Amino acid sequence: MSSETPDDLEVAEAMVTARRRPSIVWLIPLVAAVVGAFVAWRTFSERGPEIQISFQSAEGLEAGKTPIKFKDVQVGMVEEIRLRDDLSGVVCTARMVKDFEQYLVRGTRFWVTRARVAGGQVSGLGTIFSGSYIGVDPLREGKSKRKFKGLETPPIVTRDQPGRHFVLHSYGAGSVDVGTPVFFRKIRVGEVVSSELDETGEFVSVLVFVHDPHYKRVSTSTRFWNVSGVQVQVGASGVNVNVESLTSLLIGGIAFEKPSGGVGPPAPNGALFTLYDNQAATRREIYTQKAQYVAYFDQSVRGLEPGAPVEFRGIQIGEVRDVKLEYVADKQEFLIPVLIEIEPERIANLDMVDPATRREGLDLLVKQGLRAQLQSGNLLTGQLLVQLDFHDDAKPAEIVWGEPYPELPTVPAPLEEITGGVQRLVKRLESLPLNEVVKSMNEALQAARDALTQGQKTLATASSLVGPDSPANSELRRALVEMSDAARSVGLAADQIQQQPDSLLFGKEDEQ
Amino acid sequence: MKYARCHDCGLLTRLPAHGAHGVVCPRCGADVHERKPQSLERTWAWLIAAVICYLPANLLPIMKITSLGRAQADTIMSGVVYLLLHGMWPLAVVVFTASVFVPLLKLAILLTLLISVHRGSSWRPVDRTRLYRITEAIGRWSMVDIFVVTILVALVRLGNLATVEAQTGAVFFGAVVVLTMLAAESFDPRLIWDRSEARNT
Repeated sequence: MSSETPDDLEVAEAMVTARRRPSIVWLIPLVAAVVGAFVAWRTFSERGPEIQISFQSAEGLEAGKTPIKFKDVQVGMVEEIRLRDDLSGVVCTARMVKDFEQYLVRGTRFWVTRARVAGGQVSGLGTIFSGSYIGVDPLREGKSKRKFKGLETPPIVTRDQPGRHFVLHSYGAGSVDVGTPVFFRKIRVGEVVSSELDETGEFVSVLVFVHDPHYKRVSTSTRFWNVSGVQVQVGASGVNVNVESLTSLLIGGIAFEKPSGGVGPPAPNGALFTLYDNQAATRREIYTQKAQYVAYFDQSVRGLEPGAPVEFRGIQIGEVRDVKLEYVADKQEFLIPVLIEIEPERIANLDMVDPATRREGLDLLVKQGLRAQLQSGNLLTGQLLVQLDFHDDAKPAEIVWGEPYPELPTVPAPLEEITGGVQRLVKRLESLPLNEVVKSMNEALQAARDALTQGQKTLATASSLVGPDSPANSELRRALVEMSDAARSVGLAADQIQQQPDSLLFGKEDEQ
Repeated sequence: MKYARCHDCGLLTRLPAHGAHGVVCPRCGADVHERKPQSLERTWAWLIAAVICYLPANLLPIMKITSLGRAQADTIMSGVVYLLLHGMWPLAVVVFTASVFVPLLKLAILLTLLISVHRGSSWRPVDRTRLYRITEAIGRWSMVDIFVVTILVALVRLGNLATVEAQTGAVFFGAVVVLTMLAAESFDPRLIWDRSEARNT
């Protein structure tokens, strides 16, 4: 480069840049993104928990359509229904609303509400048009849970209903079923919630629910009894037919009553009671102490059944539990052990609480003549009962304190005593020397005749002595007439004895 | 020397050499530019907004039918499935085409056009222009769905017996249709030819 001209100078060219701000149109996707994000966030934040409910069948359930309702408010929706792997039922997957999440705890119950007729009630009629829905009975607190086992039948009582549950034990369910009403003074105050066998299988456990405020009438001493069907009593006052209500006639029922005695404290929730078969059973006092004894009878026990009363001088103190037949091989005889149960509490002022005292006392009583005896309780039906009483003339005996039950000594029944007496009488009769008596009587008669002829001779002599109209003569004649009368009587008596020898003992039979 | 045609009155004008700002048509006074200003940028913006809206439009229910106390919310796809399951497949095809296929097709075409222009592709410019014309033509027909919902909401007001309510999904679906129409509007098809001619010369 020899010469430098400004034109030749290497000058950097100024750059022209288009200073462009980003177009305002970019706001549009920004707004769309913000709105979209907001909607997405809201949708997901409102998305409640997913739960699984298993049922035996999906009758009336439809995925995506069957709602889950609580108090008729939708709290969820069934999203999917599929069969279990082992085909034992169906599993419904449901999406709950978020607010309901806290109530999805252990103990929350689900069931399908559909139209049904049960327990004398028609329920769920509305579902005929709107379709079935899943009902829920939420629990407020508990361990959070997501898998539930649905109930096959709607619960009779939901948790929001005020009231109390009570457990009744009975030996048979009778006509007690879920939904069976509970009555108090013939007013319906509750229902049977469940009726199932106890774990041991020994009795039926009936769970009843008594509504507010009636549950306050249930105290610890309240008695419950079964009022199923009609109760007919035939007694001295005539026929008595008792029906609790028409409903109970159709579907059975349970009634309870305040005890006639003192009212105990209100029963707590879940208190245990006995369910009696009838009202009469509840009126029997309840005795907690029971003493069991065995008594061996060697006569027929026809008419003696378990449940027959054990009486002491006509007052029931216990009942017969069992009647058996035993063969004693070495003696080659049959024994009938009767198991009786005595409730010592029935006897006032009897200190029998302590078993040792009881033993001593019983030994003493038996020494004084306490015996068990079969007695006819009912002449018409021939039912027997066991009577305990003192028999002074009984052979001495004592209680055999064996296992499993102590053995009470027995005396034969009164009927047996009569038979024995008659037999003894007959024997005594047989031993009587009847023939000799008759012979000696005949001899006596002969002697009397001899005396008579002798007398006549004497009279003839006498008549020669005294005149026919003399007083001595008439005296004599009268004496003679009386003598012949006496001789005739003796003859009659002799005949009588010949015909009926027993008249000697029992006297002359009245003439018909 | 560059020429431009006025968008409004069609007068052919010669553009000044120095720049393209503030150029107006001498006859009608409208802005005159050689190409639509910021065409690609705007199209991108509209398209992205449309794509964003497309998701909730299909995931959220567009309509809730309450009949005899039973409420049932339907998304577009669940409606199509419902129609198919109930044997109304011609109707299902129509709904599917109008509501799912066409919006998706429009988004896809616009995306293809934008990318090809950016890459300066010279691939089949005639066909690409045809695609653009199709997009413009069918754009408005997707609104059929919205109209159906609108009419149902207005007509089915039978109280407890049956009620139809529009849901959030319908709003997004309408937004998708409008946004894609705007995107198609802001795209300048002449850009397709610019690049391909630039390559050829």
